[in-house]
Amino acid sequence: MRLYEYEAKQIFQTHGLAIPNGQVVESAEEARRFASQIGGPVVIKPQVLTKKRGKAGAIRFASDPDQAFRESQLLLGMTLKEEKVSKLLVEEKVEIDKEFYVGMTIDYSFLKPVGITSRSGGVDIEEVAQEKPAMVKKVRFSISEGPTEKELAEQVSVFKGSEQGLMREVTKKLYQVFKQYDAEMVEINPLAFTKHGEAVALDAFLNVDDDSLFRHSDLVKPRGMTPEEFEFEQNLKEMKWKYIEMDGDIGILSSGAGVTMAILDMINMHGGRPANFLDTAQMNAEGIYKAFSLFADNPKLKVLLVNIFAGLNRCDDLAMGIKRYLQEHPLRMPLVIRMIGYREDEGKSILKEINVETIRSLEDSVEKVIQIAKGAE
Amino acid sequence: MSIIAKRSTRVLIQGITGTAARIHTKNMLDYGTKIIAGTRPGGGGGEVHGVPVYDSVAQAIEKHPDINATILFVPPKGTKEAALEALNAGIKIVVMVAEHVPLHDNLEILEKGEKKGALVIGPNTPGLISPSEKTKLGFVPSQYFIQGPVGVASRSGTLTYEIVSRLTLNGIGQTTCIGVGGDPIVGTPFPKILQFFEKDSETKAVLLIGEIGGTKEEEAAEMIRDRKITKPVFVYLVGRTAPEGKRVGHAGALIEGSRGTIESKLACFSEAEVPVAETPADVIRIAKEILKR
Repeated sequence: MRLYEYEAKQIFQTHGLAIPNGQVVESAEEARRFASQIGGPVVIKPQVLTKKRGKAGAIRFASDPDQAFRESQLLLGMTLKEEKVSKLLVEEKVEIDKEFYVGMTIDYSFLKPVGITSRSGGVDIEEVAQEKPAMVKKVRFSISEGPTEKELAEQVSVFKGSEQGLMREVTKKLYQVFKQYDAEMVEINPLAFTKHGEAVALDAFLNVDDDSLFRHSDLVKPRGMTPEEFEFEQNLKEMKWKYIEMDGDIGILSSGAGVTMAILDMINMHGGRPANFLDTAQMNAEGIYKAFSLFADNPKLKVLLVNIFAGLNRCDDLAMGIKRYLQEHPLRMPLVIRMIGYREDEGKSILKEINVETIRSLEDSVEKVIQIAKGAE
Repeated sequence: MSIIAKRSTRVLIQGITGTAARIHTKNMLDYGTKIIAGTRPGGGGGEVHGVPVYDSVAQAIEKHPDINATILFVPPKGTKEAALEALNAGIKIVVMVAEHVPLHDNLEILEKGEKKGALVIGPNTPGLISPSEKTKLGFVPSQYFIQGPVGVASRSGTLTYEIVSRLTLNGIGQTTCIGVGGDPIVGTPFPKILQFFEKDSETKAVLLIGEIGGTKEEEAAEMIRDRKITKPVFVYLVGRTAPEGKRVGHAGALIEGSRGTIESKLACFSEAEVPVAETPADVIRIAKEILKR
């Protein structure tokens, strides 16, 4: 889960990292008031989850309270990457001497955390890493111990002697944030060195591992979505289901990420167009009933494919769930059920009672849904 | 022969009194797995299907020093504590079935496993099964597996059953099938498993069931290209047509660059001259071709 800049900055501050003097506002009037409190130039930044705000021209500067009012009016209500701007962070403009980069993430090849530093701050660090790898220092370290003194020395070796002490302190504090907040990634880009010899986090990025959120319940709130979307997402999370929307017309309900991806591939390779898929974790009668509830009212579906391969669960149990749903809610679109595995014959006869046939072969069921979708055009 | 799960494997079940653990303990015992003991923190005593239950891993090992593997039927929140307990008690094979174990917990477990010289399998794995040894560690449905020459390693449980049941229907048996785990971080990824199969005399060919994301398919391909693996390997890759940017949610781009995509994986396997199946039916065709040689 990505945090907003102002949330990440608050966390940084409690861990001893300096941030600019700032305030979150929701109206242009508030922005004017804060700017006059500051009594000097301010920066105004929309609080949205998309990264490249700067490139979109959405980070604005104002030299006086009236200008802060006007710029804020422009920004509020703007839409950036489908996200409506409703909050702004207004900050005192920092006198920048130099801009650096420092971040921490997980190296999935080496299965270790890695610290990343660069003298090129305020730019797209992924581009720098690709084009001039020598400009970027990566040091892997122990998750339980944190970076050792030797590793820290290595990490800050890209900086000049006079800069190294401060960078070492920043890196240590950033590790505390990384560890305490189960970060997938934490980043300060840019980290400003001021003329007064202070290191200030001008921006803040913190992505918290979703699977760790039970330890960070204070952070869970709607972000970048409507309350309805948030509720939908939370429901899925509770059920541990994955739901993905696409632009075709074939709905897919299956169990397990791997086999669901295999079905997507087969449909696409044979000229069909998946509309969405639901990958349920382990399934039972109750689960498949709920899953049907998710699909049934989606108007863009021309056909729904249900794949059941019962290894740990039972075909007859799932068939009962499907039967119950269909008896209560007649489906608008044709249904193709592929069913194979444990107690398959029992499952089959349950569905026969409501005139629903099943198919054993995955290939045949894929072919059939594609035909139906095409025939409906 | 087979890898990791063997007749000589003596198994502990952590969290044995849970509902799922009870069912699968029974299934494993029925299949032939030698389950020696179980634990339930703070509630030892009694039996589950005739298996004695202890308070802690240390207690279980004191009574049964022959225990050499453990399976964790504990929720994701408790996985780190349970895994560290097993590793500290000296168990060398740790199977973690839970899905949604926090990334940092996972990193800590793997770090400890490396220090202790132990093999950590998972998390988010159905476990592994060796038909000729009548041993399974985890909850793979054993009815789809028969003894034979193919080693199988997969990132997905359900897809493994789908594919292996077809191998079995076609009379192609398996030495060991292992679910390496569906998480971005797992203890025994493809490159490590390939080394195990390479050393196993019964395994004549290896099937990797991979998917988009991560770089383990690429690393495996490089090992084959560099002749570190000499047995024939074939691959089924899914996620070719997955909507871009929707599945791989982690911030690995900075480290991985363009690796992890379907194009990258296909290019690496092609360079290593590894056949890649496009569909489940294709997997069977390639398996037959390789075994004919």
